[in-house]
Amino acid sequence: MSLIGQAWRRLVFLLRRRQLDEDLAEELRQHAALKAQKNAAAGMDPEEAAYAAHRQLGNVTRQMEESRQSWGFPFLESVAQDIGYGLRGLRKAPGFTTVAMLTLALGIGSCTAVFSVVYAVLLRPLPYQDSPRMVHVWTVSPRFPEFKMGQSIPNMNDIKALAHSFDATAAYETRRMNLTGNGEPEQLSVPAVSPGFFAFFGVHPVRGREFFPEDEQEKDGDVVLLSYGFWQRHFAGDPNVVGSRIMLEQKPYTVAGVLPRGFSFPEKSDAWVPFVIDPKHKTERGRWMYFMLAKLRGGVSLPVAQAEMDGIAAGTARQYPKEAEGIQFSLVTLQEATVADGRDALVALLGAVGFLLLIACANVSNLVLSRGLKRQREIALRAALGASRVRIVRQLLTESLLVACAGGFAGIALAVVGIQAFRALAPASFPRLAELRVEPTTALIACIITAFAGILCGLVPALSASRANLNLAIKEKTADAHLGRLSLRGFLVIVEVALALVLLTGSALMVQSIVRLLRVDTGWRTDHLLTASLNLSKTRYGSADAQRLFIQRLLDALRAQPQFTGVAFTNNSLMAGSTSLTDFDPATLGINDKKTTLEARSVSPGYFETLGVRLGRGRFFNDHDVKGAPQAVIINESFARRFFSGQDPLGKILKFSPNPADQCQIVGQVSDTRDISLNAQPRLQVYFPLLQDPFSGMTIVVRSALEPSTAVAQLQRSVWSVDNDQPLTKVQSMSDVITTSVAGPRFRAWLLSVFAFTGLTLTLIGIYGVISYSVGQRTQEMGIRMALGAPRSNILRLILREGVVLALAGAVCGLTGSYFLMRLLASQLFEIKPSDPLTLSGAALLMVTVALAGAYIPARRATKVDPMIALRYE
Amino acid sequence: MVRSADKNELLPGTLEMLILQTLNGGRRHGYGIAQRIQEISDEVLQVEEGSLYPALQRLLVKGWVKAEWGTSENNRRARYYTLTPAGRKQLGTEAENFNRIIAAIARVMRTV
Repeated sequence: MSLIGQAWRRLVFLLRRRQLDEDLAEELRQHAALKAQKNAAAGMDPEEAAYAAHRQLGNVTRQMEESRQSWGFPFLESVAQDIGYGLRGLRKAPGFTTVAMLTLALGIGSCTAVFSVVYAVLLRPLPYQDSPRMVHVWTVSPRFPEFKMGQSIPNMNDIKALAHSFDATAAYETRRMNLTGNGEPEQLSVPAVSPGFFAFFGVHPVRGREFFPEDEQEKDGDVVLLSYGFWQRHFAGDPNVVGSRIMLEQKPYTVAGVLPRGFSFPEKSDAWVPFVIDPKHKTERGRWMYFMLAKLRGGVSLPVAQAEMDGIAAGTARQYPKEAEGIQFSLVTLQEATVADGRDALVALLGAVGFLLLIACANVSNLVLSRGLKRQREIALRAALGASRVRIVRQLLTESLLVACAGGFAGIALAVVGIQAFRALAPASFPRLAELRVEPTTALIACIITAFAGILCGLVPALSASRANLNLAIKEKTADAHLGRLSLRGFLVIVEVALALVLLTGSALMVQSIVRLLRVDTGWRTDHLLTASLNLSKTRYGSADAQRLFIQRLLDALRAQPQFTGVAFTNNSLMAGSTSLTDFDPATLGINDKKTTLEARSVSPGYFETLGVRLGRGRFFNDHDVKGAPQAVIINESFARRFFSGQDPLGKILKFSPNPADQCQIVGQVSDTRDISLNAQPRLQVYFPLLQDPFSGMTIVVRSALEPSTAVAQLQRSVWSVDNDQPLTKVQSMSDVITTSVAGPRFRAWLLSVFAFTGLTLTLIGIYGVISYSVGQRTQEMGIRMALGAPRSNILRLILREGVVLALAGAVCGLTGSYFLMRLLASQLFEIKPSDPLTLSGAALLMVTVALAGAYIPARRATKVDPMIALRYE
Repeated sequence: MVRSADKNELLPGTLEMLILQTLNGGRRHGYGIAQRIQEISDEVLQVEEGSLYPALQRLLVKGWVKAEWGTSENNRRARYYTLTPAGRKQLGTEAENFNRIIAAIARVMRTV
């Protein structure tokens, strides 16, 4: 209360300051008069009495000053004074202000944008209730050590029964379903989910009801819940949608409800159906196709829960050695599983913008330093008049903070653009992009970075300026002060060069890696190919014969089109990052080698011809490799090299199980291909005839003589000519598929290059500034040298040497830094070592060249100095 | 700051207490306050006039005294200070503290 009263009185006094000032002055005059009167009464003569009174009263000005301290808010006022003074100073130096502000805006803006993305993607909890406690429970088997797989029903039931670490679990299975009966057929992502699935996430339908336990029967469920997005898109947000019917896989499903906006788990789900477990799967322990989620009980840490899982897995492995040998249950937080794909890229970007901010700060620091040198006299004068060092540092820091604030505002604008651009340009597969937006946190992040930058770029110059030697400074022209200061400036330039060089090597490595990736030999021709995927309805094409018939009819329909020079089907997508694997025991060939996994692909006749895969031996599949014909298999070169070194593999039998139906004769050998992605090394691979063992999900590949995009309609028509209800999805040219598959690294390389280029430009400006300043300082010296007969080339060399020394010192530091830091990028690089000598030296060369260019302009100016004018200078 | 006549400094904060005590007897102007302190203390305590006015400003801001212009006994314009209720309360607290400290010092001085 009294504090508030005091503040109020201070405010009133502040407003009445003039009056108070006059009152005090008069009071002091009266005091002196009374004193003089007393002195006179004591017998002094009047003049001496007045004089003595004033002497006794002491320094009136100081008393007034001290009294004023009690009125108003002296600290805040002095801050306001500093700000006002700073603003005036900055207005008087528009060039300095603009350059410093823009430089900081670049640093602060890019930092804010990337920090905002990092916060939204990596740090902010997923938008589900209790999301930090959610974990995936994966299966890891020694059979496929590099993969994380789902759970089998019996294992999942055991975990639920035995684990004490969880207080809720949920399960789901991803499924694609064809939607028909209303316009063009469409393929939807419709996961099947366990009864407590939505409660697990703490979401409830905004319309209708959740699944009841009785929906999970061992008959086919016939209810469906819609995602908000699908409801809007397909039903235009119809409020009476609950109870209506949609046709999925040619079967009617009743809409039970709609989930709230924003909920879509697993990602990009259109609708959900109840979990209907195939009775066969209830006992198959090796069928790891159901994804299991769990919520850690409060207070249970991840390592504790993992230790419990290890115990349960060990028990399972002991009890069922045949199906579960060496099995592990691995817990990964849902957050980690969701954002893992983005982490490496974001960490690299975070490093890059951090460096960029430091470069910007070093640059501005240098600008402030040289401004400080011009103001040396002013500062020395203030110090001489009694300003304390703290006060001077504060004044100078205020100025830097003002510049930083201006830069911060511009930076926020830049960050807003940057975040939008990130959202628009990032590859669609980037995690949590939909949640990314400009939000209050962005401004908060910008404020913190701005304050950091303001202090960082102001502190060094402020401390150094306030230390100025008063005597020398007031006399001006101080040789030793100048040398000390220059070395500080030189040091900042070295730091800049080093940081910029690290950025440069990082981006050069990324760019080279993407170039090499795009140039890699896939073993087949990716141009002029059109691909699409289709998923045969299980109700209409339930049997292998029905599927085979569909494939055969579509093959015929497509072959009849003269526009298509090649037509093929395969069970797995191409270049989309996924594949199928199968176990193989070399012992079945009489080879003493450990069990391994093979990439397995089923292909229709014409597959190798359409893709342009080279035949090594034997033959390709043809229309006679059908049901009833001998089981055929084609191997790739790697397989032949590994298991048949030198021998002819043709005619050998591969046994994939003791069952005769799984024993195939090798009919051909083809060259190795990269068909999973550009960066995945070719594996040991086998091809099976699709017409012998058809699949319901397929990828179509057609080679078109013309531009593939012109063939889309034709392809679509051909499919519908066979089945009018069959949707075709992911219709894309193969080159688009490949572009998408490298979108992540390309985006990263692109962003890093932008940052590196910005860093390079800032460094160029930095070097230019330092050398210019030094030339300005040494004008007189140049004049003397020239007057004594030094040729202009000598002068040029003298100045350039200064730049070269700084650049080389920076380059050495930068190379050392790159050598250690680039290892962190190793996982993101393709066929290039992080310490690639060519890249490192190339980047260093570019850096030194840029530095020389920055030094050349002022050096040229130095040679143009007229000795007469230079000598008269000062 | 208050000094004793032999130039020893007193406890800090004493001046404000002395001013409050002086004003307890009624309103006074600045010169009057200084005179009164010297008088009462038999010239032992000399108020350094340089610190009197800043101290008065502090007391004004704290709300312990208020000031108004009036006419002095010899018909001069003078600024008179009066104790506020808050100032009276503060004086009580300070006097109590002061007495406690003096008593403590006295106890220490009595022991051999």
